[in-house]
Amino acid sequence: MARTRPRPAAANEASALQAALAAEHAAVYGYGVVGAYLSGAALTAATSDWVAHEVARDSLEAMLRSAGQQPVAAAVAYRLPHRVHSSAGAMSLAVTLEDRVATAYLGVVAVTSTRIREFGARELLATAMRAASWRGRTVAFPGFPAGALHTARG
Amino acid sequence: MAADRTRRAVLAAGAVCLPMLAVSGCKGVGALAAPPRPAPDVAILRAAIAAEELMIARYDAVVRGSGQLAAVLRPLRAEHRAHLAQLRSRLIVPPAAAARSAAASEERSAAAAEERSAAASPSPAAAAAPALDGASGRGSSDAGSGSASHGEPADVPAGRAAAISFLQGAERAAAATLLRKLPAVSPSLAQLMASVAASEATHVAALAAAGGTA
Repeated sequence: MARTRPRPAAANEASALQAALAAEHAAVYGYGVVGAYLSGAALTAATSDWVAHEVARDSLEAMLRSAGQQPVAAAVAYRLPHRVHSSAGAMSLAVTLEDRVATAYLGVVAVTSTRIREFGARELLATAMRAASWRGRTVAFPGFPAGALHTARG
Repeated sequence: MAADRTRRAVLAAGAVCLPMLAVSGCKGVGALAAPPRPAPDVAILRAAIAAEELMIARYDAVVRGSGQLAAVLRPLRAEHRAHLAQLRSRLIVPPAAAARSAAASEERSAAAAEERSAAASPSPAAAAAPALDGASGRGSSDAGSGSASHGEPADVPAGRAAAISFLQGAERAAAATLLRKLPAVSPSLAQLMASVAASEATHVAALAAAGGTA
């Protein structure tokens, strides 16, 4: 009779996935605002990114349910990090949303389960690509908050 | 004298351990004889450092060869330097690393070989790699490539578009190599490696905007 004892790592995995899910909920909400201020090619890009976040959200919910966890729910509304009045403001909001999602996936990469770690790395890469596109330039350490890593730049 | 003192220390340690053998599984003298085997992180970290050094050398070579590209490439190269600094800061090197420089060049050519095997997986880079090797007039032998004496990579093709495609292939392969090794490393190193891989993936797109292929 094997008792189902929760693995010690499982709690960390669940909390990392829940944090990523919360960030994805916020991104899905935020891209609704981003899209409202864009048109043309930028709107097409925002729509495609919006869908990507919905897909990631659904994957995270499925992973949590299969681990016997109740996925965190989306909030009814989110306070935006800054007011959006223009397309420039919308793009800057998209960058912020992606950066927050990236940081959450960095937490997922730190879990010990290979499958979940690789999922986190894939999503980190995807969010870094979207952030670079909205930002118009690349960064050295996607997911790490600015200044978290002190390096001598040469 | 020193040897005698060491032997006495070992004997003393053994004497301390002996009574505890039965209860605590003390490894005794054997535990003092050999340095601990390096963790998998160390070997992977060294390979990642060598790969970043190779990447920077390639950017250097392309910047030298094409002044027009410098404005596009410099920020990307700066990010690779930041990657390298951060990876190096995670490596604790014991003082007895006398043969480091020899090992470093060996690792760099190993990094180049590893990258080629990564590029051999089905990806747009795979199609370009053999053609580029042929264009630079070298055989397909893996041995010795990238190990030129002053760190000058011999495999950078001439011409703006070819150079950009070459760097894109190198970025793609480097990111794939880091991601492949993620399961083997500690959580903290996994975070750094995943972040570096993500940064390298964004470089592919940035290079595409500079006139390469997406």
